[in-house]
Amino acid sequence: MDIKHINPFISGLLNVSGMLGLGGMQRTGISKREKLQTEHDVNIIIGLVGGLRGNVVFSMHEATACNIASTMMGGMPVSQFDMMPRSAICEMANMIAGNSVSNLEQMGSLVDITPPTLVSGKNMVSLISQVETLVVQFNSKEGPVELNIAIEE
Amino acid sequence: MSTSHIAPFVKSSVTIFKDMLGLEVKSGTTENEGDSFASRGFSVIVGFTGGWKGRFFLDMTGATAIQLASTLTGEEYSSMADEEVLLSGAELGNIISGNAITDINNTYPGLNLRLTPPSVFAGDDLSMFNVRLNSCSVLIDTSAGPIKINVAVEEGKK
Repeated sequence: MDIKHINPFISGLLNVSGMLGLGGMQRTGISKREKLQTEHDVNIIIGLVGGLRGNVVFSMHEATACNIASTMMGGMPVSQFDMMPRSAICEMANMIAGNSVSNLEQMGSLVDITPPTLVSGKNMVSLISQVETLVVQFNSKEGPVELNIAIEE
Repeated sequence: MSTSHIAPFVKSSVTIFKDMLGLEVKSGTTENEGDSFASRGFSVIVGFTGGWKGRFFLDMTGATAIQLASTLTGEEYSSMADEEVLLSGAELGNIISGNAITDINNTYPGLNLRLTPPSVFAGDDLSMFNVRLNSCSVLIDTSAGPIKINVAVEEGKK
């Protein structure tokens, strides 16, 4: 996987979180994904097709997802992870992916995205693609967010 | 959401289960799911874009996934979290959806559907949620256990 394809996603996430008013989103680390286990119970998958083929997955805890949804809706308290926060968080993922592919387009790579799918559950294992997956960790006032990027050559 | 979206996927799944895995397949029941559904524990997800945008899910219990993987590789597995079980699931999803979209692209020239690589999720109390997509399911009964085929589509511009 080419590292130059990762930056558009990082800046996409930072741009959109700024737009939505999420508190102090910062990149805290980057690593290779070595295990199948995910400790996060909320995962949003978006597929990439075209110039790049792969998947990006946003993972976070349910509490973080509720906090983000709350901030997106102007501070309205969100205590339960029901339809509204699910929809809000999928919308955020969609915006980030959209922003990222427009960054990629400026680099000359035309990429199409699939609609987001949210998978939630407990004790999850996941296989995002059959290729090496990079994990970029972010932290914000709302809680930690992980961005998993798996791009096939 | 009409049955024309899901039919090629069902046809392809049944062909693969029968011919490649040698399973017995009994007729299925259809269900309209709305935008979310509860998983049985093991789910293969393949996205597609082009004239139709959406997702294809293959959903089953962990036991069924283990049995399918054993049939494919000829080895025994004890847990659905085994990497090879996940990989077998991904490969099945890839083959089935690949067949189905070839069929769709031949039937409707110009749709130009393309697939994303498969992802696999397994765990407890899994639930799937597709924003603004309506989905339709077909539950088929195989000799390895029931398998749910779900297709969620948003009809985009051609």
